[in-house]
Parts: sequence; C-alpha cells; structure tokens
Amino acid sequence: MFLTKYQERMLDGEMGVAISKCMELIVKIGELNNADKLIPIKSAQIAGVSYYTVGESIFSFLDIFSNEGVKVKVPSWLNPAGMDLLKWKDMGITKKFANKQKKIIQYYLDMGIEQTLTCTPYLIGNEPAFGDHLSWSESSAVSIANGFYGAKTNREGAPLALASAVLGLTSDYGLHKDENRVPKIMIDVQTDIKHFSDYSALGYWYGKNYHGHIPFFKGLDNSSVDQIKMLGAAMAASGSVAHFHVENQTPESKFVDLKSVNEKIVFSEEDKRKTYSIFHQIKENVDLVAIGCPHTSAEDLDIIYSYIKDKSLRPNIEFWVFSSRKKLETEVSEKMIQKLESKGIKIFTDTCMVVSPIVREKYKNIITNSAKAAFYLTRKGKTKVNLQSLEEISMEVFE
Amino acid sequence: MKEIEIRAIVEGKVESPAVVSPISISFLEGVDPETGIIIDQENPLFGTSIADKIFVFPGSKGSTVGSYVIYGLQVNGVAPTALVTYDAEPIVVAGAILADITLVDKPDTDIISCIKTGDIIAIDTSKRIIEIRKK
Repeated sequence: MFLTKYQERMLDGEMGVAISKCMELIVKIGELNNADKLIPIKSAQIAGVSYYTVGESIFSFLDIFSNEGVKVKVPSWLNPAGMDLLKWKDMGITKKFANKQKKIIQYYLDMGIEQTLTCTPYLIGNEPAFGDHLSWSESSAVSIANGFYGAKTNREGAPLALASAVLGLTSDYGLHKDENRVPKIMIDVQTDIKHFSDYSALGYWYGKNYHGHIPFFKGLDNSSVDQIKMLGAAMAASGSVAHFHVENQTPESKFVDLKSVNEKIVFSEEDKRKTYSIFHQIKENVDLVAIGCPHTSAEDLDIIYSYIKDKSLRPNIEFWVFSSRKKLETEVSEKMIQKLESKGIKIFTDTCMVVSPIVREKYKNIITNSAKAAFYLTRKGKTKVNLQSLEEISMEVFE
Repeated sequence: MKEIEIRAIVEGKVESPAVVSPISISFLEGVDPETGIIIDQENPLFGTSIADKIFVFPGSKGSTVGSYVIYGLQVNGVAPTALVTYDAEPIVVAGAILADITLVDKPDTDIISCIKTGDIIAIDTSKRIIEIRKK
C-alpha cells in the first residue's frame, strides 16, 4: 500500500503507541483487502459503548489512547450505551453497572468524541452528504449512510472505526469503491409494505436469504427515512447487508447499472406472512413492549400516540420506547412526552433493548415492531418475541 | 507429520495443542474473556478453554466488539497462542493485531477435518507453514 512519508512515520511509532496501533490496524486490514492507499474520512460513528456488550476488556483497550491523551481528528459519535444516563435507576440498572458505563463514556469524551449515544446520528443533524467517505460501525447506520444517503462506508468493526476517527483516515477498499456498490439481486416487492414492521420484516427476509449481497428494491416508492431505517437495520442484522438501492428513492438508484443484476426475486404476501410467523413466539402473557430499534424519531411517537390516545395500558405490561436524547430534546414537545408518559409509556434515551442488559434479564415475553430487535433478543433462546405493527401492538396492550 | 501452507497476517512462531471448532465462532458472547472458555451453547466445544491453545475455526460471526474480547483474552492472560482460520475477517484481524496474537489464514488444506483437538501444532510464519504433530 502507498503511504505518504507522514503516514509512514505514524505507523513507525513517531507519534506514539496509540497512533501506531491505529495505523497498523487500518493498513493491515487495507492490505488484506487489496487497498492501494488511505483516504480521508468526514466522520466516524463508534460502536463498542455499552458495558454489557464490551465488558471489562474495553478498559485496557481504551487505556492505549488515554495513556497518551489521543484525540479524534474528525467529528465522531457514540453508539448507544447500556443504560439511560439519567433514568438508569428507573430501568433497573445497578449502581455498579452504571459506574462502569459512565467510566467507558468518559474515556470516549476525553478523546473528543460526542456523547450522541445513538444508532441514528443521521436523525440528529449529522446526515452524511452524497459521496462522503465515512468510518461508521453500527450496522444499521452503515446501511442507511450507504443506501439512503449515498455516502460511502464499510461496515467497520468497533476498533477500526475508532482507529479511523483518531487518524481521520480509512483504507480505500470495499464500499469506498464504486465498482463494489452495484446490486446483483433485484427484489420486486409485490405485497403491501406500509407499517414500520413491514419494512423490518422485508429486511429480515432479504438478509436471511441473500446474506451480504447488495439488493435493488422495486415497489417501495415514497418511503420515509424512518421506514427505510427499519428495512436497513433488519437486513444488516440478519444478513450483514451494508448497502442497498431502492428504485425512485435512494440517490444511487438513478445511476445504478441494472445490467449487473443476475437474479430477480419477488417478495410476496406469503413471504411476508412467513417472516412474521418466525417472530410469533409468545405463549404466555406479554410483559414488555419495546419500540425504538433503530432509535425512534418524533414521527414514530406521534403515530404511537394517535393509536392510544383514548385508551389505557393494560396492567402488568411495561411499554418502553428508545430514542436519542438530542432528538427528544430538539424535536419532541414537552407536552407530547407528558402525554405519552401519562399513558404509562416510558421513554428512555442513550440506550436500547439490544445493548442494555436489563431488557433480557427482566422480561421474557416481548413485543416489538423491529425484526432487528427480535433477531437479537431471541438469539440466546430465553426470550420470546412477537413482531407486530405499532397499530396491532397498541390494540393488543391498550384497552 | 503433515505440513499446511498458510498466509501470515500477524507474525509469530508458536507450538501448542490445537482446539478445533467445527463451526464459526462469535467471540462476543461465544468466548468468555475472563477465562478463555467457549460459552456458545451451540458449539460442540462448549465449556472448552482456548487459553494457551492454537485455536482453529472455520470463520467468525457476530458483533465487531468481538475484537475487544480477543484483546481482553490477552490482557487477562487467557489468550490462545495462535488463531488459524480459512479467511480471517476484520473482527479477528483487528483483535489479533491489538492483542499481538499470531494469526494465519488461507490454508491449502481443509484444516477443520485434518487437525484434531489435542493435536500438537507448530506454526512458523517466517516459513508460511503449519506442522501437525499428532498427539
């Protein structure tokens, strides 16, 4: 790989151990993928924040950076943590966990990383521009950055994204190259896709069946970013799909050469029904509704309220909604939050049902409208999940 | 004694008993970073330690936070001496670089069927080979 004189000096350790380790990571990964150079990035989105997912190992790793007071070179944002930073006691998080969690976040803040604690940085004023090179790591954010915004990022591992943030560089391979962004499979959606959970089911089905391949969807005209984020998140979870095109919707779909498509598949009513039936597992009483994977927007909250405004939550059911703190503070009125809370809905920020330990520990029968959440919550086999639309959920748990 | 040609990603010269996973491994939630024991219940190696062993596995899956688990194994003194796989992907590469654990891939032979758990394996990345010395 070609390195500038300055990059070589960074690799050789002249700027310290941390910089050298970061260079070693991105150069080696680049070389294994036949990259011939490093390229500058506009931003980094960093996973590996929740103490529940990273455990004790994270501290010795982050010491590499704190020992030398290393700062990031580009705007960098954090993925969700394992708890709401203010309302962690309401979630049932222990003080020990909270202390560990705060310590992890402090390491990142000391490096100059912003405390966004969200999987949806693009919903809080950080939309990437078309063609921007990025190093993002949260799999749904990667998918949306590539697909919905036409920016360019590989699905970076947590350490790689952090290394890139520190250097302001990534290696030029994979989805940074136009030739690797073309679809090979066309999905003709021939069933009604309306609810967030429908988009999520479609994404789950696609990822499960066509692991890793870039799709071109037909039949999803007039979809919003909130709907597309459900689609992108589900296919990233079930099939590591990092990029996609939607006809008449996504920016690259206009230029894409459909000659590269060698398989055309129909997504039918039957496919949709079968996907929902995978996540139709609850045989006992529902104990939790979990919404907000990816983090909800103001629109989601309006929709929820429209369904439940004349009803009340059934007893012995908790209803949790996860969003980002900034979204809530800037776009959702105090009044709306009070109205939802008066219905028994708890709104948590900075975290979600996937990266917080408490959801799996406390609840056994969970309804969600996210196939990504359903996928992760059921992976260990102890939690039962139903995938349903917000409308169905509201009818079921409110009376 | 059998020799297998490999590609070296993180250099090293080690000799240890092998632990061979027949299925892909998720380091996050699949290996306990405190003890080095495999905790994925779907894996036939459930309960087996990879500490101080050469860990042979077909591929990796799961969260990219898995790299920190590999690093954590090293910090906790329970790391494998080397990692051997078909096609090392970024989770494993990043973890091995951070932890400085010998990592090789692209073997010219089917490692999962020809290496058995307990076989003594010698890796010398300067020669680009693995030697299998049966137990």
